[in-house]
Amino acid sequence: MELFRLALSIFAAVFIGWNILYLISFRKIKLSFLERLFISYGSGFGFISLEMFLFHFFSIKFSLIRIIAPWTLLFITNLIIYLKREGPYGRDPYDMKDRGNILLNSFLAAGIIFEILYAFFRALIKPIEAYDAIATYAIRSKIFYMENSIPHDFFYNLSLLFPHPDYPLNIPLSETFVYLFLGNLNDQIAKVIFPLYFLATLGILYFGVRRFSGRTGALLFTFILASVPQFNHFATNAYHDIPLSYYCFAGALFLLYWFKETESLGCLYISAVMTAMAGWTKNEGFVYCAANILLLLIFLFINRRGIKKKDILNGLLYICVILLILTPWLWVKFTANLVNSDVGSTTLSELNIIKQSYKAWPILYEFQRQIFGPKKWNIIWIAAFIAMAVYRKKIFADGQKYITISLILTVSGYIFAYLIGQDEIRHMVGTTWSRMMMHFLPLTVYWLAYLIKDEFAERKG
Amino acid sequence: MLLYKSLHMKNKIFKLVFTVWVIIWIFLLIREMFAKGNIREYNALLHRSLDGKRAYVTGDRLYEFLSFCNAELPEGAKYMFFGLEEDSHDKRRATYYLYPHLEAEEADFLLMFNEPILSRTGYEIISKLDDTRYILKDLKRRGR
Repeated sequence: MELFRLALSIFAAVFIGWNILYLISFRKIKLSFLERLFISYGSGFGFISLEMFLFHFFSIKFSLIRIIAPWTLLFITNLIIYLKREGPYGRDPYDMKDRGNILLNSFLAAGIIFEILYAFFRALIKPIEAYDAIATYAIRSKIFYMENSIPHDFFYNLSLLFPHPDYPLNIPLSETFVYLFLGNLNDQIAKVIFPLYFLATLGILYFGVRRFSGRTGALLFTFILASVPQFNHFATNAYHDIPLSYYCFAGALFLLYWFKETESLGCLYISAVMTAMAGWTKNEGFVYCAANILLLLIFLFINRRGIKKKDILNGLLYICVILLILTPWLWVKFTANLVNSDVGSTTLSELNIIKQSYKAWPILYEFQRQIFGPKKWNIIWIAAFIAMAVYRKKIFADGQKYITISLILTVSGYIFAYLIGQDEIRHMVGTTWSRMMMHFLPLTVYWLAYLIKDEFAERKG
Repeated sequence: MLLYKSLHMKNKIFKLVFTVWVIIWIFLLIREMFAKGNIREYNALLHRSLDGKRAYVTGDRLYEFLSFCNAELPEGAKYMFFGLEEDSHDKRRATYYLYPHLEAEEADFLLMFNEPILSRTGYEIISKLDDTRYILKDLKRRGR
């Protein structure tokens, strides 16, 4: 019975996510059914948690009916749109007949399925217990569930008793949503949301690579990402890094899709929603909000001759959607003066990068240690550096350049955060950088796949 | 001919890289499961109830004490915890499991874990799990 309730909570989140995206984009863009499901999953939980957060402003108690009822209006609207639609909406932008090397494909698919099942097994074998998972996130979801709301003085009193009061509440509130469905505080099976984010990230990567490569290429790069031990491990320990990776990756990818086809507005809206959700999941998500907005401005500047007025307006709309989604959280954060314990209340003098430049060497040292040190065994970074050297002429070529710029902006954003941080720099970089790198790992794998896509075409030829 | 040779070479490199990747993948999986002792942990966890699993990951002794405190403390009680290092993983777990009881400087109850019984002026033992795990109550706050 409990598993049925759990499945129902996931179904509810996906269904709500599906309806939101159907209204804003699904009718107009080409996506496969599974890809739609993977996107709906994250947006569903994101919007439900946002709704639960908005309840706080109106002192509304949580109940499943109160949470789900408003979405029925959206469902009815979509039903009317669906029945009145003219012609079918777009599907599958890939050549689904391409079967590739069946033996290799079977091996890769088996490897991916194994990694996914193993992630689910490891997540569900024990309750939430990892340090940050319990100290920062699970304690908050427990409070919200037991109080049946976000207590009215939560941000001014209660939250300050636990570490990182400034961390966004997407995942704690998503956990609370699952608890409400379960009817109890089973923090073992509620962990299912984390491997599901892992699965959805792999799915989005697969369909992303599938747009320019055959089945073998897409399976190969999905396998590469799935087989990174640290990435798989973090899908099981209830940390928020994999959900953040998911939102960052989807946000960047759909923005890149829009760059290719500016008529495909749905992609821009999905990117805006996912990027904002990154900021609503972890503070690091704000780096991606800034990076994607900058990337959009760079795109508009580079293509200024061919750009139409409506593209600029769409760009402005993109920024507005991100701000709109994040405003309630930013409002609470500033009014309650929730300060990050690592970055602190940054003063103007700390923003003076030249003054902080002494931190550059320790940062670079830690970076190379995390990349080349055997401890993490994440050889994607080494592979990426080799590929960068071999294909150096291509990294700023058409199409590829925006993915490269996106990665550069992200890394620069993190370096900036490290520079203005108040914590001891070696400790801060040493304890966080490998996790930060996971946030843009899916995009790096996609970048790698895009970089060598011609090799697959040549081999096929 | 040149194009053919270059393709042949690239094919070989791709095969080599992929083979190395798969070997490392299998090695890491085996290391993760066996060398790090995860298989033993999975085996121990597999047949336990949710409470049993919580006890396993928290440590049986600590979890037993936390369950004891939850049963003994009155609703809304504020406590101070002794016997666990501040900011340690165990302390965080204790905070999580003890909620809705909250830790506070001005607490009615002192939760003593792995602390020998010594007489403390102004406090009395109100409940005892064993000689090193017990709850003290502040006598000045008796009426509250």
